[in-house]
Amino acid sequence: MKLGWQKGVLYVAIIGMEGCWLYALMALLNKEVGGACLSVHGMLIVYPLAFVFNMLLQHLRCPKACIWGVSWLAWALSMLLIVKVQLFGDLPLLDSAWLLSVPRSIAEVIYTFRPELLILLGTGVMWWLGRRLSYLKVDFGALVSEFQFGLLILLIAFFAASQLRVELGSSVPMVLTFFLFALLGISIAHALEGTSWLSGLYQGHWSGLLLITISLVLLLGLLISAVVTPGFLQLAVAALKWFVGLILKLIALIASLFPEPEPAELPPATPMPEMEPSEVFKMWTVPESVRSGLRIGFYVLWLGLIVVALWRISSDIFGWLRRKLAGMAGAEFESLPGAFRADVLGWLKRICLRLLGLRLPIHLGARTRAMLPEIASVRQIYRQLLRWATAAGWPRHISQTPYEYLHALAQLMPEAQGDLDLITEQYVRTRYGALLLTEDELYQLRQSWRNVSQNKLRKRGKYKWIK
Amino acid sequence: MDKVVKEVSQEIKGAADRLTSNVSKVIVGKKETVELVLVALLCEGHVLIEDVPGIGKTMLAKAVARSLGCSFKRIQCTPDLLPSDVTGIQYFNQKASEFEFRPGPIMANIVLVDEINRATPRTQSCLLECMQEQQVTVDLETVSLPRPFLIIATQNPVELEGTFPLPEAQLDRFLLRVGLGYPTEDDEGEILSRFQQENPLDNLTSVIEAEELLEIQKLCRQVYVESSIRSYAVAIARATRSHKDIRLGASPRASLGLHLASQALAAIRGRNYVIPDDIKYLAVPTLAHRLIAKTEAHLRGRSVGEIVSEIVSTVSVPVEEQR
Repeated sequence: MKLGWQKGVLYVAIIGMEGCWLYALMALLNKEVGGACLSVHGMLIVYPLAFVFNMLLQHLRCPKACIWGVSWLAWALSMLLIVKVQLFGDLPLLDSAWLLSVPRSIAEVIYTFRPELLILLGTGVMWWLGRRLSYLKVDFGALVSEFQFGLLILLIAFFAASQLRVELGSSVPMVLTFFLFALLGISIAHALEGTSWLSGLYQGHWSGLLLITISLVLLLGLLISAVVTPGFLQLAVAALKWFVGLILKLIALIASLFPEPEPAELPPATPMPEMEPSEVFKMWTVPESVRSGLRIGFYVLWLGLIVVALWRISSDIFGWLRRKLAGMAGAEFESLPGAFRADVLGWLKRICLRLLGLRLPIHLGARTRAMLPEIASVRQIYRQLLRWATAAGWPRHISQTPYEYLHALAQLMPEAQGDLDLITEQYVRTRYGALLLTEDELYQLRQSWRNVSQNKLRKRGKYKWIK
Repeated sequence: MDKVVKEVSQEIKGAADRLTSNVSKVIVGKKETVELVLVALLCEGHVLIEDVPGIGKTMLAKAVARSLGCSFKRIQCTPDLLPSDVTGIQYFNQKASEFEFRPGPIMANIVLVDEINRATPRTQSCLLECMQEQQVTVDLETVSLPRPFLIIATQNPVELEGTFPLPEAQLDRFLLRVGLGYPTEDDEGEILSRFQQENPLDNLTSVIEAEELLEIQKLCRQVYVESSIRSYAVAIARATRSHKDIRLGASPRASLGLHLASQALAAIRGRNYVIPDDIKYLAVPTLAHRLIAKTEAHLRGRSVGEIVSEIVSTVSVPVEEQR
């Protein structure tokens, strides 16, 4: 298989997955807030278009800001085109009415949600997704993340549709298509990593087995969709209702055995005097625009309170889990004080910087040089080792190299010297040699760290390890 | 790519092991010193061996030269040695009726400059151009020296009568200064045993050819040096310039030498990347001879090597920060 072909399939898989959940989401929004007057298929074209357009733009030798501007200009044009075609097909092209409809929909967002706004937001999100995909490094991790995220969005969309009593129509083919793309993409990405059984000796057998499994899953899905029809569901609901009715009748029978209490006589209600609004009250009547603002503020306040409550509840649950896990033999719980707060603050900071446009001209379209996950894992494990050893009273001196520090640690835990050797060796390789570890080496490293940490737990009393 | 680099580092390690084991047939129990000489050899530097008489300085230089299969010349420095005795002369060939260049002993791959501090400053200075630019200029004619080119100089730090201390410019041109030190009791017994029948130096054969050495020298430059390691080497060099006991700190040539030497050491030890231990290990041999300590430090009995070790123990090693 050629590399270009494989990458192409991975891109198609991601486009397929994202297309499925985008379709579900857009169909729901179209029926709920867009008045079902838009063609979702027509809007979905924007997503692959954005991907292809941005892929082509990457080949241009222009400043990044210029590419960014051209990309979003193209989005604006395609969005206006969709507005014209889907909502104002009968108006002439030069008529300003359809051009002004988009800004008008934004201005009236407090009072009503117009279909133009849905097109604006929907195509904006799709364009951003397509642009993001064109810069994305497509690998196994990316495919799995896309699958998890897409599945979550699909579930949320279906749940919302059932609660709002919105008929999404082709939900079964949508789910099947989603899983088809996900299974196809993930298996090929896994094979491309070079560690899969797909690259081994029996790749023919396994590929056949994979295809059979995918076919079986699809067949099973079709079978379930054929059996579980609305009629079948209505029958099940009717059976449930009959059962509930039976229970209610039984309760009524039991209740009839007891005498009913005599109703008490209530005094007649006093009529309320009619009052006219005073002049002062009329003067202090709050205008509608202020009330809208206050209403938004009120919603934001509520939202904030809900977030704080969720945070608090989550913290309590984690605290309870921590206490439970601490009591289990052979298990450990490492606290990361302030990690959540730091993450939230970092997230807010990034949003603020983005909104203020501070980072935009500099990092436009640039891929962030994130540390590779293999290297990050090794460094994280070594950091944990340093933290534990420091807490045990064996901090590393600033002038100590990892190997010099290893000697000190070996005195602390001579029985774990093999594991400490391995952790130090792999850390040195990745930190100073920029060498990547294989899956097996990473597994061994994690195993060694587990051995060392368990060893430390056993010696907690002796060495006063961190609680 | 990784595989290729790994093979290259294994090739260098294999060559280094061959050379070390060959030299160890003559020099007993001094593996670290031999390794340092090899470091200088691989990064085209020069070595100053400083120790008391009878330790095996000249023997080490000869053993290295024999193991390399390169041309070898020896210059015995005395106060009446002239620059032309080292570099060569232009003489008038009466038969051909023209001036011809007769090369001196410096025209060799390995040159042993024995007891260098016995030569006058004038003669010592003629080595400056050879060591840095690998060429000699005689009567307006510049001649390139053969490659590889390594000067192994020896000097006796004890017997100073009738000697001329090497100037700083000269010392700075030596990549490393090493000492052999007295052998242990067992090693000394082994030396007597080996030299009982014959001199093992006579049977020493070459294990690396000049072409192979040149290739290895090129490969050593490809050893990966992570940016934080580079900063660590620079930090050590800079710390010598601000230390209270140091009058003259390390030059940029010193930090460059430390950088190159660390690459060679990493390759010799079978790695294709430099680690902080390499820098630490090489700090004293690379820097100590280039620094000048203040008189107060001398009076307190502190050696420059001790001061460099102290500096190294205060500079932060680039390791993961605990967050």
